[in-house]
Amino acid sequence: MTAPAETVAPVLETRGLERRFVTHRPLFGAPTVVQAVNGVDLAIREGETFAIVGESGCGKSTLARMLIGLIRPSAGEVLYRGRDISHLPAREMRGLRRELQFIFQDPFSSLNPRMSVGRLIEEPMQAHGIGTPAERRARVAYLLGRVGLRPEHAGRYPHEFSGGQRQRIGIARALASGPRVLIGDEPVSALDVSIQAQVVNMLEELKDEFGLTLIVIAHDLAVIRHMSDRVAVMYLGEVVETGPVDAIFEAPAHPYTRALMTAIPAPVPGSRPETAGIVEGDVPSPTAPPPGCRFHTRCPFAEARCKTERPRLAPGPGGRLVACHLAGRLPDFAPRTLAPGLTSGAARRFGLWRAARGGDVATSKIPPAEERRP
Amino acid sequence: MPGDPKPILAVEGLSIRFRGQSQDLVDGVSFDLAAGETLCIVGESGCGKSLTALALMGLLPQPAARISAGRAVFEGRDLVTLDAEAMSDIRGNRMAMVFQEPMTSLNPAFTIGDQIAEAVRRHRPVDRAAARARAREMLDRVRIPAPDARLDEYPHQLSGGMRQRAMIAMALANDPALIIADEPTTALDVTIQAQILRLIRQLQAETGTALILITHDLGVVAETADRVAVMYAGRIVEEGPVAAVFDDPQHPYTIGLMASVPSLGRRAGRLQTIPGLVPAPEAMPAGCRFAARCPFAEPACTAAAPALAAIGPGHRVACRRAPLESHVAEAAA
Repeated sequence: MTAPAETVAPVLETRGLERRFVTHRPLFGAPTVVQAVNGVDLAIREGETFAIVGESGCGKSTLARMLIGLIRPSAGEVLYRGRDISHLPAREMRGLRRELQFIFQDPFSSLNPRMSVGRLIEEPMQAHGIGTPAERRARVAYLLGRVGLRPEHAGRYPHEFSGGQRQRIGIARALASGPRVLIGDEPVSALDVSIQAQVVNMLEELKDEFGLTLIVIAHDLAVIRHMSDRVAVMYLGEVVETGPVDAIFEAPAHPYTRALMTAIPAPVPGSRPETAGIVEGDVPSPTAPPPGCRFHTRCPFAEARCKTERPRLAPGPGGRLVACHLAGRLPDFAPRTLAPGLTSGAARRFGLWRAARGGDVATSKIPPAEERRP
Repeated sequence: MPGDPKPILAVEGLSIRFRGQSQDLVDGVSFDLAAGETLCIVGESGCGKSLTALALMGLLPQPAARISAGRAVFEGRDLVTLDAEAMSDIRGNRMAMVFQEPMTSLNPAFTIGDQIAEAVRRHRPVDRAAARARAREMLDRVRIPAPDARLDEYPHQLSGGMRQRAMIAMALANDPALIIADEPTTALDVTIQAQILRLIRQLQAETGTALILITHDLGVVAETADRVAVMYAGRIVEEGPVAAVFDDPQHPYTIGLMASVPSLGRRAGRLQTIPGLVPAPEAMPAGCRFAARCPFAEPACTAAAPALAAIGPGHRVACRRAPLESHVAEAAA
């Protein structure tokens, strides 16, 4: 997993991307407007895994949907291979969707329960006029095997599968049309830890095999650190920090990124010696975001300027961009011990587990367990 | 527990069976809880952790599920044998519960203040004014800003984090000896979760209430637990002081679970995985229920269920292969 070089042209790019939703339109007076995404500039490179992280209401799901034209922007543009796709007619957009595919968080609600698994996976190929019926059936069987299911599962229905298996089906369906970019909106967050690890490994293998660019929306910082090359941190509709994942996790520059890193409960007893660094208060309503820096109401470092002037993304250390008036002037961030199994006892047992499981086990080698109802 | 010979809750062989099934879904769960102690019960979906909590509160879905065996002695009384009326005198009084989604456990038609006051008057002979004063005191206690104003607000007017604080205020209103919290921070954003976990720690230090915290998140366990019980397919497979379980995990399921969690540190290759799936409730295997997924299993593992046996001070494990190094050749490091 090597990060592509800076010089590679972006596969997807956003410029000044905005999206407003009207949530309430009274008979008289001004409507209530949510500014879900506010002036986002991103460049996603071919072949990388790019993560978008933030808490509920930060606009990450809206942004992801705008990237592949499921939601139209209110302003700004989305460039796919240099072409603005945000104003394409619906028919052209449908054609483009062959290359831009989406994986949803809840595979059950995104799979038609009346369609067999085989039909579900074949449908995108049919819609894009790919292959003969025989070729499509062969590809369905291949994709099922690739996501760790059996070809005979094609005749079954989504309710016959567990949550993890349904997510595998959703991934096979997303891969059917031969996409170049795969966007996952919390693709593993509904899964139990042991199943989540299987699906994360599988996504990485598929990315290599199919030469995909992967965009992952998630709130789980550990999953993001593990999977991605670069990350964008969002707060109330704006990107506050973006750059290489190691640089940002090891030395977060924006006070909100620091707050996220501090807040995450690490599976290491005693790793939070004190409660300092926990940000107070709630996320303000996106219908009335604070002026200036949107984080200033919760920021322990905020100055007068932060309350009036919106900070713009500017270059920071380690190839990142950070939107903070105080960037470079903040105290050093004390990193926490964040990895489990640091003690010799646990490391020894993890070693035994790894050895017994045959090192880095690919999920496809795991014999499929009997499917069951949830 | 050391220094406390008499636990406030002693659960022994608690088993839960669903109607029409021939096996217990929760099978022989036993643990003790000392006053002021925090026990985290951790496990994945369907492991029986929430059912165990509901059984202790007398809230199992009736008549679909019932307690098929065991005892749960709380402050000298066996909760399993109590009738509904006696149980409702304990619930919300000596023992209180906090759920994952406070919106479903708070009544949307009543103000926060009315609901807490009602919980107080259900169990204490106080007048309206005193109950309202207590409600205000509790909101203050859970660090809700402007408690006087919040008293007259409805649940939907509060943010998720504030609703969970209000729920905790209600749970604490009658000074319970025990709070059972089922995934209390799972629905919350991570910065709000950190606030609520800190609040729980502070309140526990102030009140000395014992806590059973049900969670799937090993990070939450590491930050809150004194002791941890790991459940798999209806059984406790490992139990012990939090440091012992994290530093010296003994059961292969505990080891596999911890090894599957992605690290927040630098990436170290592919994630470890546990092969296969949890067994279906109607098809629990004989013997050790983890054996089919266990890389260390031997034929004897499927013959008989291993007993939860001591392996260190206060540390118990249900595995005939523990400690693993004495049975499995170690790979060269």
